[in-house]
Amino acid sequence: MLFDPESLSGSRYRQRNFTAVVGIIFALVLLRLFTMQVLQGGKYRELSEENRIRVEVIAAPRGDIRDRNGLLLADNVPSFTVTLDPFDKTYVDNPGLLDSTVARLGVILGVDATLLREKVQHDGRQSFLPVRLRRNVDRTTVAYVAEHESVLPGVDVEFEPLRRYPLGLMASHLLGYVGEVSDKELEDPDRAEYLRGDLIGKMGIERQYESYLRGEAGKRFVEVNAMGRKAELLGEKHPIQPKQGAALTLTIDANLQRAAEQAFAPGARGAAVALDPRTGEVLALASKPNYDPNEFSTGITQERWSALSEGGNFPLFNRAIQAAYPPGSTLKPFVALAGLMTGAIQPGTTFRETCNGAFQFGRRSFKCWNPQGHGTLALRDAVARSCDVYFYQLGIRLGLDRLADFMKRIHVSDRSGVDLPQERRGLFPDAVWYDKRYGAGKWSRGLVLNLAIGQGETSLTPIKLAQLTSLIANGGTMIRPHVIREVEEDGRRVTGLIATQDSIGVRIDLSPAALASVRAAMEAVVADEHGTGYGARVDSVRVAGKTGTAQNPHGNDHALFIGFAPVDNPRIAVAVLVENAGHGSTAAAPIAQKMLQAFFHPAADTLRVVASR
Amino acid sequence: MALLRGTGDVDRPLLFVTVLLALIGIAFVFSATSMTSASAEHGLYLKQLIWLVVALAGGAVAAAVPYRIYMGKSAWLLYVMGLMLLVLTLFIGHVGLGAQRWLGWGPLKFQPSELAKVATVVLLANFLSERKLDLTQMGSLVKPLVAAGVPFLLVLKQPDLGTSVTFLTILFTMLYWAGLPLLYLFLLVSPVINVAASFFLPAWILFAAVLSAVLYRSRLRLAPILFVVAINLVVGIVTPQVWNHLKPYQRQRIATFLDPSADPYGSGYQIIQSKIAIGSGQVLGKGFLHGSQKALAFLPEQHTDFIFSVVGEETGFLGAAAVTILYFVLIYRGIRIAHHARNRFASLLAIGLTSIFLYHVLVNICMTVGFAPVTGLPLPLLSYGGTSLLTSFLQIGLIQNIAMRWREY
Repeated sequence: MLFDPESLSGSRYRQRNFTAVVGIIFALVLLRLFTMQVLQGGKYRELSEENRIRVEVIAAPRGDIRDRNGLLLADNVPSFTVTLDPFDKTYVDNPGLLDSTVARLGVILGVDATLLREKVQHDGRQSFLPVRLRRNVDRTTVAYVAEHESVLPGVDVEFEPLRRYPLGLMASHLLGYVGEVSDKELEDPDRAEYLRGDLIGKMGIERQYESYLRGEAGKRFVEVNAMGRKAELLGEKHPIQPKQGAALTLTIDANLQRAAEQAFAPGARGAAVALDPRTGEVLALASKPNYDPNEFSTGITQERWSALSEGGNFPLFNRAIQAAYPPGSTLKPFVALAGLMTGAIQPGTTFRETCNGAFQFGRRSFKCWNPQGHGTLALRDAVARSCDVYFYQLGIRLGLDRLADFMKRIHVSDRSGVDLPQERRGLFPDAVWYDKRYGAGKWSRGLVLNLAIGQGETSLTPIKLAQLTSLIANGGTMIRPHVIREVEEDGRRVTGLIATQDSIGVRIDLSPAALASVRAAMEAVVADEHGTGYGARVDSVRVAGKTGTAQNPHGNDHALFIGFAPVDNPRIAVAVLVENAGHGSTAAAPIAQKMLQAFFHPAADTLRVVASR
Repeated sequence: MALLRGTGDVDRPLLFVTVLLALIGIAFVFSATSMTSASAEHGLYLKQLIWLVVALAGGAVAAAVPYRIYMGKSAWLLYVMGLMLLVLTLFIGHVGLGAQRWLGWGPLKFQPSELAKVATVVLLANFLSERKLDLTQMGSLVKPLVAAGVPFLLVLKQPDLGTSVTFLTILFTMLYWAGLPLLYLFLLVSPVINVAASFFLPAWILFAAVLSAVLYRSRLRLAPILFVVAINLVVGIVTPQVWNHLKPYQRQRIATFLDPSADPYGSGYQIIQSKIAIGSGQVLGKGFLHGSQKALAFLPEQHTDFIFSVVGEETGFLGAAAVTILYFVLIYRGIRIAHHARNRFASLLAIGLTSIFLYHVLVNICMTVGFAPVTGLPLPLLSYGGTSLLTSFLQIGLIQNIAMRWREY
C-alpha cells in the first residue's frame, strides 16, 4: 500500500493498469461482436430475413372485488381480442397493403374502417406491439379470422381477460369502470409502464385502487415464420406468467346497496349513502340513474360515450360524492346543536314570536313551510315538526359568525375524505366568503335566516351529510368514510390502507347533554305523530332522523332525509337525496326506511355468496 | 508525435478520431432516418451537420482558453450552476420516457446532467489536486464523496439510473488516478455492490465473504473496519425494507432496469431486435442504407440510442469493429494525455473527462449487443442529438486544452 501523495498523479503504474483494464474490456466487446456477427451471423441473418420475432403480452387479470360478505362484485371472464401488427414484414416491405387489410378488418369486425385506421396509426406509433383493434370478439369472428390467416398478414387473435361486473348496473358508480388508457394519463411518469391500448381504471374503486387491481402482465417471445405460424422461441427467453391484481374486499353490504338502489322510483335521480357511524365503513353508496360498467370493458363507441356523459340525466355522474346540494331542513339538527353548544338556547327555550306561518324580519316576511303555523315550540317539537320560524329566530340570536364558526368546527366545508376519486367539497358560507362575493359589508343580515334553515348558498354532498349524521350518532367523532376493507396481494393482506382504531376520525368536543337533546328531537321526527319523518319508521327499531325539502334553482324541490338507528347504540347512519322530487317526508324518508328495513330485517331473497363459480 | 515533441500542438490522433466519429455519426443518422416510414425525420442528418459546425467552434474555444481558469472559485461557480439546473429540472423539466431529464428553450432541449458531469469533474480535480491532500486519511474522502454524491442523487431522483451512475464512475476513476489505494477503492465501492447483491442471497453471501476476507487481511485499524462493516450492515438491512415498501409499479421499474427481460413490454424485445440487426450484418454488412432490420422500425430510437445497431447491420463486423477501435483510440489518447500532463489538476481533469466517454461508450455498445440493460444513454459523437454532440466536443476540447499545455506545472 505504498503511495506518495506528492508524486504526479498519473504514475506509470496507474496509467498502465488503467489502460490494460480498458483494453481488456474493449477486447471483450470485439470478441462479442465477432461471435455475434462472424460465428453466429448466419443464424441472425436467417432470423432477420425469414422470420420475425415478436413479443406477445399476456394480459394480467384484474383483481376481484367483493362485498363485505364475500359476494362477487367484479371479476374477469376469458375473451378474444383481434389485433393487428402494423410492423409485420409484409407491411414494412409494402406499406400500401396495410390499408387494404384494415379495410377488410373493418368489414369482418363491423367497425368503421376509418376509426380502425386512426387506431392503428395512434396506438402503433409508440409501441412495437400489435394494436388491439377490438375486444370481446365472438367465436364466429375468431374462426373466420383464423381461417383467413393467409390473407390477413399480421392479424392475430389474442386471449385477454375481460372485466365483468356480475351484478350489472348495481353499484356502478362505486365500482367505476375500466377503459383504454388516455394520452393524458400516459404523460404521468407514474404510468411509465402503461402502453397505448392498455386498460386502466377510470372511475370509482377501479380508479382509486388501480395500482393494486392492475396486476402484472406476462409475456412470451414467439417466432413467426413465413407461413404465419407461431412457435415459442426457444433458447432466448422463457415466458413470464402474468400475475393477477390484488383482491379487494369492500365495506359495502350488497343487500343494503340493492335495497337502496331499488328504493328509488324508475327514472329518479338522486343518491343514498349508508355508513357505520362507529367506524366510517361505507355500507352502501348509491347514485341514480346507474349505467352498466360492463359496456366499457369491451371498449365503448364515441356515440354511446356521448350519450352517457352528456345525455339528459348524466348517468356517469356520481351524485353521492360529486354533487353538492342545499341540505334544506336536514341542516336544522346541526343549527340546533350550534345553539345549544354556544348557550344561545336551552332545550326548553321558546322564542318571542310565535309561528303563525311567517316571520317578519325588517321589511321582509320569511315564510314557514307550514302556512297554518306551528304555534310556540321548544327545541324538540321545532325539530320534529321542522318549524322554520323557530330556526329563523335561532339564526338571528346566533348571528352569522357564531353559526359559521360552529359549522367550521364540525368541518362542514371540508371533503369527507372517502377513498373514492373526484369527491366534491361542500360549502357553508361565512362573513369572509360574503365579503369576497358581494364586497365588504354589501350583503344583508337577513342571509343568516336562510342559512339557519339550510337554504342560501350552503351545499353539501350526500356522503358529507351521512358523515355529519354519524357525528351526532356516535357522540362526537368525525369518522372518515371508507369503502375498502381488505386488500389481499400474493395471499398477504396489505396493511396501512384501512383506518385503524386510532385513526378512525377526528374527535370533536361536543357536550353530551346537547347531543342527547338533538338526538331526542331527531327521534321525535320519526316517532311523533306530528313528526315529518314518520315514513322512515322500522318495526322494533328506534330510528332518529330529519327530513329536508330544499328549494333549488333547477326546478322542483329536492327531497332529503338523514337518519340513524338504533337511537341508543347506532350501527347505521344514512343520507338520502332525490333530485326535484318534492317533500323529504314523502320522497326521501321511504327510501331510508327501505334501507333500514334491509339492514335490520333482511328479506328472504338476499344475494348470497355462491360457493364456486 | 506532436505531444512528445512539446510543440504545444493539439493531439492530432484524438482530433482525427473525434471528427471521423462525428462524420460517421451523421452518415448513419442519414441511413437510420432514410426509410419512407420515417418521413418526419428525413432532415435530421442536416440538422446534425449544422450542429457539427457549432460543436467544432465550441471545441476550439474550449481548447483555446487556458484550463487554469477552471481552478479555484470558478469550479464552484460551475458546479453550483450545474446543481441548480438539475434541481430546476426536477420541478419544470420535460418528461421523456417516464423521467424528467430535459430543460428546454423553444426548440432547444438540453440535459442539465451534461453540464453537471463536467462541473463535477472540474470540482473533483480541484479537490484532489490540493497540496495537503492525504488519501490514506478517511476524512479526505468526505469532500469528493459529497461533490459526486449530490448530483448522483439528484439525477437518480429524475429517475435516470443510467446517467446517475456516471457520477460514481467519475468519482472512482478520479480517486484511483489521484492515488487512492485499491483496497480503499474496494471498500468505497462495497455499499454499491452490496445493494446490487442484496437481491440475490448467494451473491450477497459471496460478497459478504469477500468483504470480510479483505477487511481481515487489510491491517486497517479497528475503527475504519467497524465503520465499513456498519455501513454495509445498514445498507444490507435497509435495502430489502425499502424494496418491500415500494408500490408495485415502482418495483417493476427497478426490476426492469436490473433485468430487462423481466419487462413484459419493451426493453427485452428491443435488445433481441438489436442483436438480430447486428448479428445479421455478418462480416461485411448488408451495405450502407440497406439494413433490413432497421427498416422494420422496431425502435423509435434507432438514430439515437440504437445507432450502433444500424452500423453493425449495414457495415458488418468490419465496420462495427472499426468504430469500436476508434472509440478505444479516443479513450487511449485521453489516458495518455492525462498521464503526460505535468500539472496534477490538469491530469485529473483529463482522466475525469475521459472516464465520462468511457462509461457512455461502453454502456451504450454493451446495451446493443445484449451485455447491459437498456438505459437510454446515447453513444457519444454518433447518436443524433445537437446538444449531446456539442457537449462531447466541449469535453474533447478541454482534453486538447491539456494536451496543448502538458509541460506546464
